[in-house]
Amino acid sequence: MSTTRTRRGLAAVITLTALILAVAGALPLAGCGSSSSSGGEASPAASASSGPITVTDGAGTTFTMDQPATRIVSLAPANTEIAYAIGAGDKMVAGTSYDDYPAAAKSLPKIGDFSTPNVEKIASFQPDLVLAAGGIQDKLRSKLEKLGMKVYVVDPKSYDGVMTDITNLGQLTGSTAQAQQVADAMQKAKDDVQSKVAALSRPATFLEIYGKPLMTAGAGTFINDMIGIAGGDNIGATAGSGFPNFSTEVLFKDDPAVYIADSGSMSKPGDITKRAGFDVLTAVKEGHVYVIDDNLIARPGPRLAAGLLELVKMIHPEAASTP
Amino acid sequence: MTRLARTSVWPGVALAGGVLVACLLVSLAFGPASLSLGEVWHFVTTGPVHGDLPNAIFWQIRLPRVLVACLVGAELAVAGVILQDLFLNPLTDPYVTGVSSGAALGATIGIVLHLSNLPWMAVLALIGGFLTLGVVWMAARRRGRIDIFVLLLAGVTISYLASALVTVLMIRANQDMYAIVYWLMGSFSGRGWPDVEIALVAVPFMIAPLFFAKEMDILLQGEKRALELGVEVERTKRVLLVTAGVLTAIAVSVSGIIGFVGLVVPHIVRLLVGPAHRSLLPVSLLLGASMMGIADLLSRTVIAPNEIPVGVVTTFVGAPLFVYLLRRGRKG
Repeated sequence: MSTTRTRRGLAAVITLTALILAVAGALPLAGCGSSSSSGGEASPAASASSGPITVTDGAGTTFTMDQPATRIVSLAPANTEIAYAIGAGDKMVAGTSYDDYPAAAKSLPKIGDFSTPNVEKIASFQPDLVLAAGGIQDKLRSKLEKLGMKVYVVDPKSYDGVMTDITNLGQLTGSTAQAQQVADAMQKAKDDVQSKVAALSRPATFLEIYGKPLMTAGAGTFINDMIGIAGGDNIGATAGSGFPNFSTEVLFKDDPAVYIADSGSMSKPGDITKRAGFDVLTAVKEGHVYVIDDNLIARPGPRLAAGLLELVKMIHPEAASTP
Repeated sequence: MTRLARTSVWPGVALAGGVLVACLLVSLAFGPASLSLGEVWHFVTTGPVHGDLPNAIFWQIRLPRVLVACLVGAELAVAGVILQDLFLNPLTDPYVTGVSSGAALGATIGIVLHLSNLPWMAVLALIGGFLTLGVVWMAARRRGRIDIFVLLLAGVTISYLASALVTVLMIRANQDMYAIVYWLMGSFSGRGWPDVEIALVAVPFMIAPLFFAKEMDILLQGEKRALELGVEVERTKRVLLVTAGVLTAIAVSVSGIIGFVGLVVPHIVRLLVGPAHRSLLPVSLLLGASMMGIADLLSRTVIAPNEIPVGVVTTFVGAPLFVYLLRRGRKG
């Protein structure tokens, strides 16, 4: 027993020494390489190591990374989407069980799901940057930081907030240029939509997040912001912030002109026009009941631009068709 | 016992009936959509009018919701009386028999399979409730007799088991977690006429125990004494257990799990009219309906346009009332 243990210990020491020697030996070699060869390898190295990067995340925490992240774990499907969209997909080492977009994200190793991420599992991927979500994941932050990871919380309260997160993640991953392109495309979608609806009236719009009990998107959410940008007056904003439940009676009293139900993995609204009593609602009578793919409005990522274009088609069909 | 037997049932029942009528009127008159009393009266007299929005608020939204709340309240209160007296245990509520957890499991399966529309949810909840009742029943059966204490223990155990299965489903089918959590919390939000129809199925089961009032009175003195007095103990227990199981399963299938009413209403009523079942049962039925009606009124109006979960309101309304009556009862 004792001899095996000693032998193993010895083997470990030898391996470790060999590793240290190899690394130490590699460093001057790399230095040599950069001084002797031109262009090629040096330029990405230069752009990547352009000094420490400081950003403030969605939770208001400011932190600094000495160099761009190389191993990223995402704890929310939206964060994974952002990482791939800005060209940092090759740095992703793990995602959640619900990552389904883009297709490449599906084959990533999984750390569990959105609401119950496993700290041990996250740590096993040895990430230098963890992209978390707000709310239920708040408690994770300190645990992960103690283990030496940097945590960026994506928790946008508005459409512009999503763009800020995208450019910040661009900096953190060393893909500033592509992140800027993604943000610019989102900005363009917003500008286009705003110019179309600027002169139009703002119809009372109800957005159903969940049907039973009825839940909507309240003030201070990026969905509320997007309804406003698309030229609608969000009824849900009267019910407080976040995603509040909403009285059916008040829904009838407010009588939305446009009724949009979120549909996807979280909610299956069914045929809204056939719900008891709904036939008297203006939105139902005039045929302004729509179902929107929740991936386009509920995931704070680059696809919100597509969601915004969908929303304007629903809220202002007359304006959406004009170029 | 003799004093109770001589006292007339009717004053208490009439009073409780009056309370229920008052609660119904208040619940129908007020709501977050603030229809005026005149308007409400107009809707009542004209009946449902197709295509009129305020009329639809009253006839399609408010009225069915109030009716469902009252029916569920009555169902839980009657089931509570039956089970407390059958188990001779004051802490018993309709949820200890495992029926509600079984119903919750059935409904959860419905949500996970995306059958979350009526009548599927109700059917699955009922199946779940009855299956658990069956299992608990088999566990408690010894040589043709139902052992009440084994039944209670088996019920609690199956309850835990069903809850554990619900949790497993919730974690496995993560995207349905919200639906399951909201369903388990219990609510009358968005309940309509189809729900009223399901809750109405329970009416015969609310009335049936009245025919066993005398047997239930005698059973309070223990099964042995009841047998000596010529009560068909096993048959009575069977009928009452199935009745309570049906009432609980139906209530849970339309509203989810709403606590406190089934536990506390029977106690409140015992303090008011005494333990004799020919008063206790009908008064509990009426006051259970009243309490749930008022709780739901508060749940939908206090922070409108948001809603407070109705289980929270039943506790807030019921707890102080119960403590007050307990203290008063002690003094008397």
